[in-house]
Amino acid sequence: MLSQAIWWSSIVLEVFLLTRAGSGRLIFRYPVFCGYISFVLLQSIFRSFVHRWNEQLYGSVYWTTEFLGLILGCWIVFEIYQVALAAYPGTAKMARNVLLFLFVLALAKAVAALWSDPHLLAETTAPQMERALRTVQAISIVALVTVLASYSIPFGRNLRGILLGYGLFIGGRVICLTFLPPQGHHFWFYAYSASYIGTLSLWLAYLWSYEPSPVPKRSLQLEHDYQRIAAATRRRLQETSGYLRRAVRS
Amino acid sequence: MIAFSSLIAGVALLLLLMAAATKGWLASRQLGARSAASEEDTSEPCPEEFITRVFSRADWEFVRGLKAGGIERLFEQERKKVALVWVRQTSALIRKVISEHARAARQSKNLEFSTEINIFAEFLMLMAVCGILSVAVQIAGPLWLGVLAHFAQTLSQRVTKLQESFQAGVLANAREAGSA
Repeated sequence: MLSQAIWWSSIVLEVFLLTRAGSGRLIFRYPVFCGYISFVLLQSIFRSFVHRWNEQLYGSVYWTTEFLGLILGCWIVFEIYQVALAAYPGTAKMARNVLLFLFVLALAKAVAALWSDPHLLAETTAPQMERALRTVQAISIVALVTVLASYSIPFGRNLRGILLGYGLFIGGRVICLTFLPPQGHHFWFYAYSASYIGTLSLWLAYLWSYEPSPVPKRSLQLEHDYQRIAAATRRRLQETSGYLRRAVRS
Repeated sequence: MIAFSSLIAGVALLLLLMAAATKGWLASRQLGARSAASEEDTSEPCPEEFITRVFSRADWEFVRGLKAGGIERLFEQERKKVALVWVRQTSALIRKVISEHARAARQSKNLEFSTEINIFAEFLMLMAVCGILSVAVQIAGPLWLGVLAHFAQTLSQRVTKLQESFQAGVLANAREAGSA
């Protein structure tokens, strides 16, 4: 009964969100995000048909669509990065390097784990695999948000909503997957499904209508003098450090 | 182990986004516009002579010479307050330097990753020093900070000397073993 209620609520909210996105022309501004919502809507309907007509096939359909959704989710993070940092090449470069470093680190960890236990891949269940991938996704979002906040990148209401909603959804999903038992409908099973309704409600509030992201004024003088800016910052920090040292030793 | 690290990542993400939402880190603030809080940050640091006086023991010796317990306590309390305001002001100044740097660097096409990491590490170290200083002032008071700093320096010198003599001993033992 509760599962049915969650399922129907998700469908209604997704349809409503897509209708709003269509009327507010958000579809053209955030095509990947709208594509993701459409995909999730279609996958839910498709899964329910498979569950009804061919239950044996349901497991493989469920996990195939789940991993396709995960890949599309990564694309949403890329869309956020692209739209938010279009006017900030410096921060975009920083974010790229940080994300690349994290990706290499995750890859190295996976290779090391497979090297030490060659049967690991065969023994890993689909939920464990999803949890591992979602964890990498969660760490990437943490890194991206940290870089964006450090450089005080201004966000429009829509983009902020997409990032907050998707981030909270991934965070919640990782926690649920950690506690989710292999079988049965327990608290974490419902929390896992219900967290998506919270995310959809948040998206609906933030994406009710289109609001453009603030555009920065180009400061050409500063744009060309990164070395000068960095040297001045380091000098000021060193001055403060000396100031602290002299005061305490007085 | 993997489950635990997943849990940590999930909780960290939720906390970070909640903080971003409540503190407005990703808000659509007007670029170049400054809030009242940042206006406060722009104030220049206290003159150095004034600060050396706050941490100096000369005035304390004078007050102690008066042999009035009430004045001594009041003096200590006031000095502690002034020292804490100074630490807060200094950490605000450091934050201002970094936020100005971030505002300038974010549009730069030739930004260097290694330079940014070094600046960020320097910033974190200075903020940690301010934090430690604040706790030390709360616990020991500004008047004993100089003594504490001197004690820490002497201790670190002793440790360095001990380490050097230990290394010399290890090397001598190795040489003896090699010759035998």
